[in-house]
Parts: sequence; C-alpha cells; structure tokens
Amino acid sequence: MLLAQILLNGVLLGGLYGLMALGMALVWGVLNIVNLAHGAFVMLGGYCVYFIFTGLGIDPFAALPFAFLAIFVLGYLLQRYVLNLIVRSAQLNTLLITFGLDVVLTYLAQLAFTADFRTINPSYAGANVTLFGLTLPLLRFAAFVAALLFAALLWVILQRTRLGRAIRATAQNLTAARLYGVDPAQLYALTFGLGVGLAGAAGGLYGMVAQVTPYIGATLTAKSFVITIIGGLENPFGIVLGGIVIGIIEALASIYIGATFTDAISFGLLLIILIVRPMRGLRTA
Amino acid sequence: MKRLYTVAVAAMGAVLCASAVLDARAADSPKIVTLGASMQLTGADTNLARYFRDGYQVTVDRINEQGGIRIGDDTYRLALKILDNQSNINLGIQQYTQLITRDKVDFLLGPYGSNHTLNESSIAEKYRVPMVEGGGAAKQIFDRGYRYIFGTAPPAENYFGSTVEMMTKLDPSVHTLALLTADDAFDVAVRAGTQALAQRLGIELVVDQVYPEATPNFTSLLALVKSKSPDAILVGGHEAESLNFLREAKSLDVNARYLTSLTVGVPSHDFRIALGKDAEGVFGMTPWVISPVMRDRWFGDGQQFAQLFQHRFNYEPDYHVASAVADVETFAYALEAAGTLDREKVRDAIAKSDFESAYAPIRYQASGQIDIPQIVIQVENGKVMPIYTDHFLNKPNYPVSAWTKRNK
Repeated sequence: MLLAQILLNGVLLGGLYGLMALGMALVWGVLNIVNLAHGAFVMLGGYCVYFIFTGLGIDPFAALPFAFLAIFVLGYLLQRYVLNLIVRSAQLNTLLITFGLDVVLTYLAQLAFTADFRTINPSYAGANVTLFGLTLPLLRFAAFVAALLFAALLWVILQRTRLGRAIRATAQNLTAARLYGVDPAQLYALTFGLGVGLAGAAGGLYGMVAQVTPYIGATLTAKSFVITIIGGLENPFGIVLGGIVIGIIEALASIYIGATFTDAISFGLLLIILIVRPMRGLRTA
Repeated sequence: MKRLYTVAVAAMGAVLCASAVLDARAADSPKIVTLGASMQLTGADTNLARYFRDGYQVTVDRINEQGGIRIGDDTYRLALKILDNQSNINLGIQQYTQLITRDKVDFLLGPYGSNHTLNESSIAEKYRVPMVEGGGAAKQIFDRGYRYIFGTAPPAENYFGSTVEMMTKLDPSVHTLALLTADDAFDVAVRAGTQALAQRLGIELVVDQVYPEATPNFTSLLALVKSKSPDAILVGGHEAESLNFLREAKSLDVNARYLTSLTVGVPSHDFRIALGKDAEGVFGMTPWVISPVMRDRWFGDGQQFAQLFQHRFNYEPDYHVASAVADVETFAYALEAAGTLDREKVRDAIAKSDFESAYAPIRYQASGQIDIPQIVIQVENGKVMPIYTDHFLNKPNYPVSAWTKRNK
C-alpha cells in the first residue's frame, strides 16, 4: 500500500512538473531558445493567481486563464521587442539574455511583492478522498487534470490551427515558412507568449500546492529543463509523460534511496539520456 | 597698500575663526563605531534574513537616539554597514573579507543561518575581529575552538529539548516519534540532538529521514510517516519547508496521533498568515516571547521593544529579531566595559558579558554560545501561546485533532 501511495503521489506531482515544462519545450523547439527565465514566469503566474484570489476573491482555478493571459502579454512584448533582437544569433547570447531576464524579473518581484511566502490557500486546498486505501489529494489531482488539458489544448493548437501549422512550419524550415507568408517576428512573439503563458498557468497551480516567493524560479527552470530533455519536443503529451517519469523517480528515490538524493538522480537521468539519445527530436515541434 | 593689508588681516582672521568653529564641531561630534555584516538581502534566504537586518538597524538607531555609547572619555555613535550576499555563501565570505580589509569596519555582526555563519565566521576568526551573531545556532559553529565568534541563538541540538521533555509529561504521553530534518548544518544538528534525547527518554524513532533543503517534497516521506502512525511528528527545517510540510500533510491526510512540532516558522507572523486555519494546533518553539518581563537599557522592556519595532517595520518581531537586538547590545556593553576599540580587549569584554536585554539575559558560555531554554509554543486562534519551558505555562490543545476533524 505504501508503494502504491508513493507511486500515486509521484504521478500527481509529475503532472504539475509536466505542465511547467510544456512552455519551455515549445519555446525551445520553435525559437531554439533555452529560456533560463522560464521559472521566473512560473513565479509571476503564481503571484497573478495569488493576488486575483486574495484581492478579488476569485477562485484560483478561475484565475488561471487571467494568469495565462497576463503572462502571455508580457512574454509577447518581451519577445517582440527584446528577444527578437538576438533570436538568430549564437545560442550563448539567448542564454545570456534569458539569464539576465531571470535576474531582473526575480529582483523586480522582490521589490514589488517582498520576499514573504505567499500561499494560494482556497478552502478546498487540503481536501482529499480515500480510494482503495489510497489518499487522493484533490487539488493535486485537479492540477494533474489541468496539466493534461493544457497539453491537449497545446496539441490541438499545434496540429489543428493555422497558427499551429505556422509554428510547426517555422520550426521545420524558416525560409520556406517565410515564402508562404509567415511573419517570423510576429510568430516568435506569439510562440514565446504562449510558452510563458503556460508557465504562468502552471505557477498558479504550483502556488496552490507549495508557496510562491520571488526565488522559486531557478529550481523550477532546472526541473523543466530535465523534463524537456526527457520528454523531447515533438509532442506535448511526451512532456507531460516526462514530468510523470521524473515525479515517480523522485517519489521512489525519496524513500528507497534517500530524499537528499532526488536531485542527483533527476540530473543523473538527464546525463544518461543525453549520452544515450542526444537531442533526439529536439528540432521538430 | 594699507587697504590691502587690512583685507589680508581680515581674511586671515576669517579663516582662523572658521577653522576654530570646525575644530569645535569636530570635538563635539561623536565618533563612530562601525558594525559590518554580510546579509542575505536578496536570494532564497531573504525572508528570514530581513529579521536580522531590521533588528540590527532598530537597535543601532535606538542607541544613537539615546546619545550613543561612552567608550573611555568619548561618546561614540554606532553605524551599520550591510552588504548583500545574495544568499550565496561564497559571496558572503568575500564580503566579510572586504568589510574587514577594505571597508575597515570595527566589528562584525553575523549573517542569517547556520550554513552561512559556519563558513563566514572563519573570516572573523582569521582576522581576529569579534563577530556576534544570532542567525547560526548549530553547535558545530562553536565547537571549533574559535575565540572571536559569539552566538545569541540557543544550540540547535536542543531545539526540540523542551518539546521532547514535555511529551513525556503529557497525558497521553508520546512513545513513538517521526523525525524529518533538512540536510543543512542547522538541521543536521537538530537531528543529532533530538535522536540522543529521544533515546535517553525512551521514545522510539519509527521514522528518521533527512530531506533536501533546496527542493523539499514531502509527499513520499509523508506516505512513510502515515504507514507508521507515530504519536508525534517533529520537523526540522526553515520556514519554507515548514509551510510545505503542513500543506502537504493536510492534503494527504497525514496526522500524528497526538502532536506535530516544527523548529522554525511557528513564531513568525507571516507563517501563520500564510497557513491561516491550517496553522491551528501546531507546536513550535522559541527562546523569546513578547513580554514586559525582560528589562532592556535602551528599549525599556521586551513589550515596549516589540511595540516600537512593529510601529516602524509593520510586522511583529519574533525571536530572530530579538536576538539581533542582543547582538548589537553585546557590542555596546562590551565597548563601554573595555573602554577602547581595541579588538582583543573588546573580545574579552564580550566573553564576560552579563546583561539583561529585551531578548534574554546575555551570558556567553566558554564556547561563545549562550544557552537559554526553548519555550514550547502552540498556535491558538492565530496567536502564539506559550505552553512549556521546564514546567507547563498554559494548558495545550492536546491531543491535536486530525485534519479531517479540525475544520468541521
């Protein structure tokens, strides 16, 4: 029963990890930008939902679309007027600028919101049900379902809409896409907005199961990076699956190897994957 | 020619008068003793480090407002020089070196946290500059034979001392224990002390696990705890970990049979705000509670200090803030007693400290650390209630109800 509960916990945690990584995978796949500020957008999304919930009394799940939109707009503007300036330069430049962006966003958040711990704590935050002797935390389950829904939505956008086709075409062949009338600057801004908007929504869910401070970003960026490598960039469901794999591995390692080794095991797995299948699928979205 | 001579004499007279006035002012203006510190003003530890920054600042300002301190025949004002180490220990080490060698501060105050203090205090020892700190509680800091480090936080090994002792006196008493501690210097010390204490008092440790401070995820550990049904759960960690633990415990419906206690978080106002009703019933500890009992030369008493502090910083001070007050006051008393800024003499005066402060009576042991008891506290109606020291102060809410029965 203990093993089953640990597996269940790992799957639910992994779903949330997967949602966090979805946006990073999208931006990486299409723009070839490894967004080191990804966790900062998760953090900003967390603050959005926190203030909508505590200030306006709107349910945090209902606040998720607002967080998505707010961070989408921020991401769009940043890509359009800042990141587009270096999007085709050496990857080191994009790493440097997103690292700088992460520092700026983090410190601005501390100035604006202080370093107080903020928790998004609706009345049902600790609710759970018992099924077959296992405890199912409802909020984590809802976050897991939301992750699947966002992954499905992203898949539909990429596969079934004109925007999605343009995104995939640009990722596959920029020159050909331009010949067919795609405006890369506009498309990159939309893609980056979409990616960080998803991070913002994930931040709202993260704030419901943990707490939001200006400094949560770096760890979440690292986690998203590992999951993106594991899940590949081909399919949003692959990313969610990658998140679940990491969630389960961490949950099992926590008990059977030692909780202090969970990060070492996650990053060790990353190393093994990079050795066994370096960058497979990373160039197609 | 005569006119030129008159102008020259007048100009010389003016210069002499001006220099005399300036000299007089210089003689009147108090001299400065600068206390330097490298603090986590940004980065992951910011939330708790600000307690020390604010505590240092309010005490320095208060002492200066009341005329400063007398060292020998001169009056001195205190000044603070605080650098931001960005919650980075390596940067902290560099900054303490800079404070001593380039900024030429007179004495040092400590950073927040045992990890930082353990490493950064070595700089103070190397340059033989006295450092007084309240942010590092691990005994490891004081077991190295250092002469220049003094600590106002009680030993981490004994954080759960009064809690475990109380457990044996409660009815029903505690026989089995789950102990979860982080992997930083403070919590490693907490774990060692609690293990020894539990063994001595015959309490069985049914779970004894260490978790990573940087990325705590308690879900698996909680499943393990639930499978063992311990009488009590003790969690060693900092505020973020304490918050995570309680929220995850509620969502997975994990309860101790009788009580749960946390090393850090419970005395802090923002911790209780963040948790709301979920903080009810949880036990914690503090070496200091707001009370008029403790007399203080500059603040009057502990309660007056708390009122003044809250008015200025808009949050209720906890023991971290109060220990920061004692850190600065240690220097004030020691400098007056030494009658000189000579670091060796001031160090000896600190070692002989014996004064009452808003925080606690300050008397350093030979190791450099003070030893004051932890008061067991419990959250009741959003407030902190003192429960036990070496005897019961108030009746606890005990056994604490399970999560499912609590909010009904």
